[in-house]
Amino acid sequence: MNVNLMFRDRNVEFGVLGTFGKELLLADLELPRILKAMSAGDETIYSACETALFQPLTDIARIKYRQDILADARRSPEVVRALYSVVVDATTSQNHSFRAFSTTASSSLYRSALDFLSDFINGLFALRQIADKSGKGFTSEGLRNLFDLFQREMDDAYFKKVREKLRELQDAGDETYFSAKLGHYLQGVNYVFRKTDRHAKRAWRTAASYTIPDKEEQTGQRDFSSRSDRALNEVANTLAAAAKSLDSFYTLLRNELAFYIGCLNLEDALAAENKPVCMPELLPMPGFERYGRQLYDVSLVLTKKTTVVAGDFDSHGRPLMIITGANQGGKSTFLRSIGQAQIMAQAGMIVGGEVCRFPIRSGLFTHFKREEDSRMKSGKLDEELTRLARALEFIKPGAVVMFNESFASTNEREGSEILRQITRAFREIGVEIFSVTHLYAYSESYMSNPETLYLRAQRLESGERTFLIEEGLPQVTAYGEDLYNEIFGEKA
Amino acid sequence: MFYSILYPNKETADSAVYTSTECLTDLGLTSVFDYIFKSKIAYQVEPFYFTTLTDPGSVKYRQAVLQDLENPVFNGAVTGFSALIYAQDAALKSVRNELESNERWRNNYLTKGQLLQAAENYCAAIDGFSQQLDKLDFKSEGLSSFRDYLAAYVKSDAFAGLISHAKRIRAGLSEVEYSMYIKDWTIRVRKYDGEPDYSNDIEGLFDKFRIGDGEKTFRKLSEDPVDIKIETKVLELVAGIYKELFSDLDNFCVKYYGFVDEPLYRFSREIQFYLAWLELIAPLREYGLPFCYPELAVAQDDVFSREGFDVALAYKRRGDGIVTNDFELTSPEHMIVLTGPNQGGKTTFTRAFGQMHYLAALGLSVPGRSASMFLFDKILTHFGREEDLNAQSGQLKSDLRRLKAIFDTATDKSVVLINEIFSSTTISDAVLLGKKMIDGLIRLNCHGIVVTFLDELAVSDPAIVSMMSLVNPDEPGKRTFKIVRKPPDGLAYAIYIASRHGLTYDQLHERLIGGEAAV
Repeated sequence: MNVNLMFRDRNVEFGVLGTFGKELLLADLELPRILKAMSAGDETIYSACETALFQPLTDIARIKYRQDILADARRSPEVVRALYSVVVDATTSQNHSFRAFSTTASSSLYRSALDFLSDFINGLFALRQIADKSGKGFTSEGLRNLFDLFQREMDDAYFKKVREKLRELQDAGDETYFSAKLGHYLQGVNYVFRKTDRHAKRAWRTAASYTIPDKEEQTGQRDFSSRSDRALNEVANTLAAAAKSLDSFYTLLRNELAFYIGCLNLEDALAAENKPVCMPELLPMPGFERYGRQLYDVSLVLTKKTTVVAGDFDSHGRPLMIITGANQGGKSTFLRSIGQAQIMAQAGMIVGGEVCRFPIRSGLFTHFKREEDSRMKSGKLDEELTRLARALEFIKPGAVVMFNESFASTNEREGSEILRQITRAFREIGVEIFSVTHLYAYSESYMSNPETLYLRAQRLESGERTFLIEEGLPQVTAYGEDLYNEIFGEKA
Repeated sequence: MFYSILYPNKETADSAVYTSTECLTDLGLTSVFDYIFKSKIAYQVEPFYFTTLTDPGSVKYRQAVLQDLENPVFNGAVTGFSALIYAQDAALKSVRNELESNERWRNNYLTKGQLLQAAENYCAAIDGFSQQLDKLDFKSEGLSSFRDYLAAYVKSDAFAGLISHAKRIRAGLSEVEYSMYIKDWTIRVRKYDGEPDYSNDIEGLFDKFRIGDGEKTFRKLSEDPVDIKIETKVLELVAGIYKELFSDLDNFCVKYYGFVDEPLYRFSREIQFYLAWLELIAPLREYGLPFCYPELAVAQDDVFSREGFDVALAYKRRGDGIVTNDFELTSPEHMIVLTGPNQGGKTTFTRAFGQMHYLAALGLSVPGRSASMFLFDKILTHFGREEDLNAQSGQLKSDLRRLKAIFDTATDKSVVLINEIFSSTTISDAVLLGKKMIDGLIRLNCHGIVVTFLDELAVSDPAIVSMMSLVNPDEPGKRTFKIVRKPPDGLAYAIYIASRHGLTYDQLHERLIGGEAAV
């Protein structure tokens, strides 16, 4: 039974990460802090959202499907949260101790599987009641179908049948009648626990028998209890498998609901910082139109340490963004705000900002300078090249690549040349590029190239940095001196 | 008519004799063979590895079989067949022990069930293998004639009778279904009468919730009985219900008390000789170390090896840092005098020389790209040890005694390996004695190696080849483990060899420093 909250036509492959370079993206875009805010301490939510982020959608209809459900959830968060809490209660009250199944005796496997089943059935009943009571107000295809499913598959007749069967099983199991067949060397195999009736009981009186001799009671005890254990094992396994089936359904429902709970949690957390969120509009893949109003670095907001600047951005349909300007001027934050919005939008999530109109991308690749790397120069360049080379087989037309001070580890001429050759090759296959760089030889070489948009970290007349990124051509010197002065407290 | 996979016929098999295994420790083969013996402990292949061959026909017979077994399809089929047949023979032997046991109760239906099962497995193994025979286009005489033998066996009345009788009984047994009821200390048994079970419709109620395949079995219990005696008693009660079927089983056990065919059993054991070797060298080949089938040399023929190595060392080091070496003795050359620095790979080289000869005489493949080996009558070794350098004065005496023994037994068909002898005496003594030894060996006309620290022993004689272990001239501390044919002096040649490997100072500088500067 599928719940289809993440996809119209299939289950989410939980924990499978479709994206190359997950670790890089997590680190470069500072995503763990966002995931943490989404999860609010619930590990299931964390991995559900992580899974969604790293299985990006490239089909606008699929994205719309999630966005509709999310819109429903934002309208009635209490109902969706109530569903989730029923699921959490039913699964956690069992302590999820399926592992213990394999170690217990058949009789306790039998008993605990029965306990599992009745708790699960009570949970299903609660879900149906929510559907009965609040299902009407929902308009998204996904949630409508889910409530229909509850009402159709879990009607009163079903609950009656299940409860009868569970009662019969509760009462069985006091006497051991069982059948067997002959194995390879004639040992008894395939023990099956059997129901018996009065007629059968009479037949037993004349059956041939063997009685354990007095002195061998110990082995007899061991042998007989093992036989009873084996007799009960098949039905106990069947019960456990049934419990496992229900558990798999709960797990799926929990995993898929978790994504939406995560989005609700994120919105709450950002609202507490007075930051708006919006439902992004996705544009078809080949285009380069990209627009955002008051986009911000969500992760930076969640640190709650600093005032976060939100900015507007318009690509004017250009695929090559060269970003220059002072250090500590907000360039990395700018890249992150774009990157986060891109990856969140393609997961069907809300994004940080007032308006977001982004193109679908076949993949998002970040190539950020490794701050922590203090090894010798040649080793660093080597590492940079290796890192990019690994991504190469995944970078396809329609991808977006974000360079952040790439190849600064070698001298300007060589770094520029490497980056220019890479940029050229990527552009030829239709890759969109954001490149934050201090390599002047590189940045100025696109001056006459009409597909280039030059951006620069804003700097006021006073020399003060606003952390805003505005359109502007590269200048020969960076603003390292500013920073030096600020830190050392000297006037130029 | 097929007799043995190790010998072309019964006569050669009967005339084979154990070789002296004294040399195996010096050759370093003990550890390798021990591994084989351990991994094939059930098959007891030891005698096969201790019996070297002296007639080229038998060696060729084995080489061809081994070559066939390098084909993975052939190997897979034969390996499976051998293991199955051998296991059934073992099972049959243990069943017979039980049936003949003094404890009467051991003669019971569970034991008879085991005999039936072993017979079934045996039939299945033979049937399975004979189904593949068309695909198994063996090239070797040994395996081809085995195939013919098996094809005839499968068609024999004895085998057909066994297979059909076993099938009939199993068909009857599979119909048996009985019920048990336990109360207090009594177990009752009767025919199963169609009572329903509890698992019914549980699946139907909950299956619709299952996502994916889902686990079905949480607890798997052994289906072997806890107490054999009680199971035997229960089975007797069952036999009382199905009398005819169980008396047919009694008859079967009498009739097929020894169902395993002797030549098939022998084949299953003997083939392990080859399989063990291929299993041992497979990882070495993966490390890039070559093995080859040597040509067989007699008295005046050339003996050589290209890219040979010490298989025991390669096995121990998992192929890491193994250096291969060549040698060649072109008639009238027949002795190598090996000099050069200590720890330069001289002992390893000498071992490898002996190993290749020993393995060739077992009919196995030998280390190296190509080789021609001398079919010896015996391998005589005398390896002094480094720690004996300052040993008691008795050392020289025992060296000489050992040498005498070698001279007394060696023939022109022997392989003689002498490693650092006379190291306990003065140089002038050692040179004197060494020269006498060399003269003796030249006269004996045997094949072999003398390892010595005395350059003087590399005398100029048509029978003697001088070889040397090399050091890296730029870094004398560094060993190359290369052994080359050259008079015992100078290093110019070593530089030439090193340059071929790109290991001179200039080359290394260019490659490492220059490469980095270019970044």
